[in-house]
Amino acid sequence: MQWTRDALVERVYSILRYELLGAGDDFTPRSNLIEAGLDSLAVTQLLLSIEESTGVWIDESQLTEETLASAESLAACVHARLAAA
Amino acid sequence: MPDSPPPERIPLTGADCFLRAFDAEVRRTAGASHLSQLVLRLGPGFDTGALAKLLSEVVEAQPILRAPIRRPYLVGPPEFRLDLARRAPMPALIVHDAPGAAGVDAPLAPIFAQQLNATFYGWAGHLLRCHVVRHDGGRAGTDVAFTWLHMLFDGAGSERFVRWLDEVGRGACTARALPEEAASPAPRAGAQARGEQAMRWRARMRSFAARPPRSLAGPLVRTQQRLDYELTTFNAEETARIGERARKLAGFLTPMLFYLAAAMRAHHAVFQLRGADPRSFVVPLPVNLRAKGGQGELFQTRISLLWFQALGEHCGDLEGLLGELKAQRLAAIKDGLVEAGAAAMDFARWLPQRAYARMARRPFGGELCSFFFAYTDEFLPGMKSFLSAPIRNAFHAPSVPPSPGSSAIFSLREGRLNFTHVRQVGVFGAAELARFHARLRADLLGDPG
Repeated sequence: MQWTRDALVERVYSILRYELLGAGDDFTPRSNLIEAGLDSLAVTQLLLSIEESTGVWIDESQLTEETLASAESLAACVHARLAAA
Repeated sequence: MPDSPPPERIPLTGADCFLRAFDAEVRRTAGASHLSQLVLRLGPGFDTGALAKLLSEVVEAQPILRAPIRRPYLVGPPEFRLDLARRAPMPALIVHDAPGAAGVDAPLAPIFAQQLNATFYGWAGHLLRCHVVRHDGGRAGTDVAFTWLHMLFDGAGSERFVRWLDEVGRGACTARALPEEAASPAPRAGAQARGEQAMRWRARMRSFAARPPRSLAGPLVRTQQRLDYELTTFNAEETARIGERARKLAGFLTPMLFYLAAAMRAHHAVFQLRGADPRSFVVPLPVNLRAKGGQGELFQTRISLLWFQALGEHCGDLEGLLGELKAQRLAAIKDGLVEAGAAAMDFARWLPQRAYARMARRPFGGELCSFFFAYTDEFLPGMKSFLSAPIRNAFHAPSVPPSPGSSAIFSLREGRLNFTHVRQVGVFGAAELARFHARLRADLLGDPG
């Protein structure tokens, strides 16, 4: 499957909101993930879900506070890795 | 904040029962309870009378704080019996006066460590106790220690409790209103799936048995529990260096692995000094199971345990050991071992306590693990004061049974790293302790050891 940036944002947002964070309506693709309760376990589970969806593994060491600022910024990181793969 | 009447009975969680089994074992073999403690080092302005009044108020409103823990007569896991709480005594608040000045680095009153050797009777609702040490009548500061039977709170819950206590004290909420829980907790798997998870966890534990761990105390023996603890607070410059190293070597999301690796190597250094073979280090890492985003769920232990094993040869260099721990963490999460650990503890709730403890020690030849470990990150982030007194420092000190006899707890408080080493008196000789600290410090700071 060809992943567009928008599709990735939607996928990452959906995993976060419905599977990992159980967040409410105030959680948007631009919400801060750490403030929403994302912890190291949830990040690893998120990366595993992304790998399952896209086939690309993002090593945790490549993540920074900026990457994890929001679902959008994380999706941008995944998109860049997909483009490079 | 919701305001609803509490239920009459609350079943213990799987982790509660795990800790209850250790509590029973420690009482039987070592004459103490399995307790945990949180210490707040406060500046001037603390009102002990206000805390006493506040405690009475919240215990009246939240009966779990003195609810007897009993197993039902017929069948089922043990429960907090809120319906019997009114017959239980109120948690004690004991005030001591000390002449010296308190401060971030001032020595702690020995009464705090001594509390970890006390016996709390859960069946009678004896769950919580508070000690206050006033320095120069409180003018130079006050130290407050909450000590509890480990089923009442876990580390994260105890911090939430302190924050909520302060909110009630300030009138920001009532004692009946607990903080909100997360909107939608993760759904539980079905019984069959959880059974499979529990078996997977069991297989993982058995895989460690090929190279079973050895603790510095040796396998379980009947001996009186005599715990003491030592708090090491690193200064701001050192803490910044340590934090930078943790981020660089372990990644900014998993600093706990850096501290775990350093603690393993510190214990390994003591084995080397003894000329003994540790065989392997097997250490559980507590993982918070609360649904993300909520501030509720103060009470009970809501954790799973992620187990790591490192062989003696892995401990040769910090970075190599970290690589091994990172690979094990990823594999364990991928295999669902966090959920599997929780499922196994859930099933074991039905077991008699002694069978539970025996089952936990059997694969490792009488050892529980190599040592206890926790990294709890920032302590009460953003909270500057407790009942109007400034918080100068704060840390956790959970007890550890005489075997393994050593527990390494790390947390941060406003830019300073706290390391609490809880240990059974006599397990470490003076030279061993010096070696332990030298190795730990060298690894944390990146200095030659």
